[in-house]
Amino acid sequence: MQWQTIFKKEVLEHWRHFKWIWVPIVFILFAVMDPLTSYFMPIILESVGNVPEGATIDIPTPSAEQAMMMSFNQMNVLGVLIAVVISMGLISREVSSGVYELVLSKPVRFSSYITAKFTAMMVLISISIVVGLVTGWYYVTVLFGDIAFTQILASALFYLLYFMLILSIVMLFNSFLTSPGLVAFLSIITVIVLNAVTTIFDHVLTWSPALISNYISVYFYSGRIETELWFSSLTAVMLSIICLIASVFLLKRQEMH
Amino acid sequence: MSLMSVEQLTKRYQSATVVDHISFQLEPGKCVALLGPNGAGKTTTLRMLAGFISPTEGEIHFNEDQFTYDNRHHVGYLPQYPVFHNWMTGEEFLMYVGQLAYLSKDEAKSKAHELLDLVRLSDDKQKRIGKFSGGMKQRLGIAQALMHDPKLVILDEPVSSLDPIGRREVLNLIRELKKDATILFSTHILNDAEEVSDDILLLNQGKLLKQGSIEDIHNQQDTKTIYLAFQDEPKFIEERLKEIDTVFNVTREHRDFVVAVHDVNDARAQLLTMIQSEGWALTKFEIAKSSLEDIFIKAVSE
Repeated sequence: MQWQTIFKKEVLEHWRHFKWIWVPIVFILFAVMDPLTSYFMPIILESVGNVPEGATIDIPTPSAEQAMMMSFNQMNVLGVLIAVVISMGLISREVSSGVYELVLSKPVRFSSYITAKFTAMMVLISISIVVGLVTGWYYVTVLFGDIAFTQILASALFYLLYFMLILSIVMLFNSFLTSPGLVAFLSIITVIVLNAVTTIFDHVLTWSPALISNYISVYFYSGRIETELWFSSLTAVMLSIICLIASVFLLKRQEMH
Repeated sequence: MSLMSVEQLTKRYQSATVVDHISFQLEPGKCVALLGPNGAGKTTTLRMLAGFISPTEGEIHFNEDQFTYDNRHHVGYLPQYPVFHNWMTGEEFLMYVGQLAYLSKDEAKSKAHELLDLVRLSDDKQKRIGKFSGGMKQRLGIAQALMHDPKLVILDEPVSSLDPIGRREVLNLIRELKKDATILFSTHILNDAEEVSDDILLLNQGKLLKQGSIEDIHNQQDTKTIYLAFQDEPKFIEERLKEIDTVFNVTREHRDFVVAVHDVNDARAQLLTMIQSEGWALTKFEIAKSSLEDIFIKAVSE
């Protein structure tokens, strides 16, 4: 009841700030940009000219799987960045502006406050990612070749778990910092560190959430969902829950002092 | 039976003691002013009473309801600088906080309309809060504090940031609220406290210096002042006035004679008798009441 109130208010707030329009559009752009440019690259080069007489342009056309992975790779970088930027002020901005004083003077549970905000943002990000990937998939099948739609949906679902972890990390920093910029900075550093550590120790950390997109690429080529994908997804879920519980605890501690 | 009792309430940050062992009771239906200079610990005290910061020591409890651990169910709170979601309309914001306090959507809607009427914002209910003036925001702030019919309404400096018109509106509103709620508000403007409150609590450097009804606090004062003015100034009047034994000092302030007395009733009778028998043309006879300022300054500087 109270949870729904906060959830609805968040959804409305995203709507009034046009996030329901521009976030999906941005994710669609990320998803189609690379497949499209690599498809049209020979034509672009030809029309731009400057190619010496007699030189043959021989750029191998990527396979459908490769093209689809281009979409995922864009999301891995730019998508994460956008997700962090749109959620960096979820709590910290309410605390620093002072709105939280009015909200918390009502008998609001800290857990409802955090999880409702988290869920509303997660719904926005999930829809944007799925819409983006499906659009990317459409262009890939038209331009490069077939990929099963169910494969896209399944991999999108795993991929969302990675974003869920990122959003939880942003919530964690939100719960004790009052500067949205600092929240974004530290969240991105955390994600970079997670990825770097995973790359260095990838033979040990096979369950790291940072490898989810690697396992998705394996899934595209082999058509099989590896057990490592299940494990790394499970790790993402567990870490998200830990981050959320910690942020409830930290916000409560900060506000009660 | 008091509505709320506060015992040995203390708040410490690191080594600084912001609120220092204060105890008081709030009687139901009273309007209480929490007075004190800036930095006296008023806001910290109010936040603890509102239930969203926890005391270092001491207890706050509602006598009517000993089973709820969360005071926020019973308290409506207006912070000193209320900030809203500027993208919401006044009506939406009230409904939002009402539902946060467990009203149903319909209850929240009818309560919001009732309160928008009370604070005279009905015409602006569809307007975004971002376009509200300071006075309108303050009134909306009071309305949001009342959404869940709290037993105690806490207002932190409700008028200090307002212009004279806004201030007048908010004071009138407080006077109206007094009819059916207990109100605790902080201020450093003494006139406001005298105008609308029944009781005062005087806080300085975290300590409670005085508490009680305004009359009691006036009566505790050992000297009183009477102002006199005459049409044609009688000769030797200062000496004549000093003949009365309860009068111990007479000074001048512009055209007024300021008469300091020990016993105001005795002095009134004797002064009027003297004026009558001498046939002086009296134009002003005033028993000073505005000495809350004196009490305040005296208590704070002690």
